[in-house]
Amino acid sequence: MSDPLLASEKSAAAGLFAQSARMRVVSENIANASTTGKTPGADPYQRKTISFESVLNDDTGVSTVQVDQISRDETPFQTEYMPGNPAADDKGMVKMPNVNMLVELADMREASRSYTANTQVIKQVRELVSMTIDLLRSS
Amino acid sequence: MQPLQLFDLAFRQNEWLAQRQSVISANIANANTPGYKAKDVESFEDVMRRSVSMTTTNPEHIASSDDGQVPAYENDPNRAEVLVSGNDVSLEDEFLKSGEVMRSYSLNTQILKTFSSMLQSVTKG
Repeated sequence: MSDPLLASEKSAAAGLFAQSARMRVVSENIANASTTGKTPGADPYQRKTISFESVLNDDTGVSTVQVDQISRDETPFQTEYMPGNPAADDKGMVKMPNVNMLVELADMREASRSYTANTQVIKQVRELVSMTIDLLRSS
Repeated sequence: MQPLQLFDLAFRQNEWLAQRQSVISANIANANTPGYKAKDVESFEDVMRRSVSMTTTNPEHIASSDDGQVPAYENDPNRAEVLVSGNDVSLEDEFLKSGEVMRSYSLNTQILKTFSSMLQSVTKG
């Protein structure tokens, strides 16, 4: 049996990694919120989604988290009238990315909340470990 | 009278608390995993009651084994916090439990410290 405190630090670190991957996907989406195609009628940027899965670590017996898959959002694109755009079709309509700013910002807030929660866990585990070490330091 | 058992008891509880902390951090790490159910460990009283080993009258008897692993169980599935994704981790609950762990752990280490300094003052004279 390995040290459970070390195992908790490991799963918190896995949580940090997963949430930062999610933050990366959110920032990709926001950065490409108005990336249209290059040729007439071409598809614009398609929003990316990320999902997590829980995996059991065989060494420690503790379930950690990892990124399951990064896939594309299949929601249909909105069209806007922009005749000057290189991606405009013969009617002047341009397909816009299916990125919804509100959804992305909500996602970002949740990711940052979970990230903070995981850093808090690491802090507390470190305090527990230092309490044990302090036993040797006394008197 | 066996005063040294106090060390054993305090260490056992610290071990249990560390197990519990690892389950809590697994819950927090999986706070956004679809379908994940929050887990918790058996209470310390139950673990102690179970781990009192059977006495053997013959060395060939099989002793009751306890490898120190605490089984984890899932929370009540009918709680209010279950999300659409099937995840029922509540960060608030987890930090509440984590706070309990911190408190008991620090209490235990303080007791150990005090007890060892008492022993030392006796042995050093």
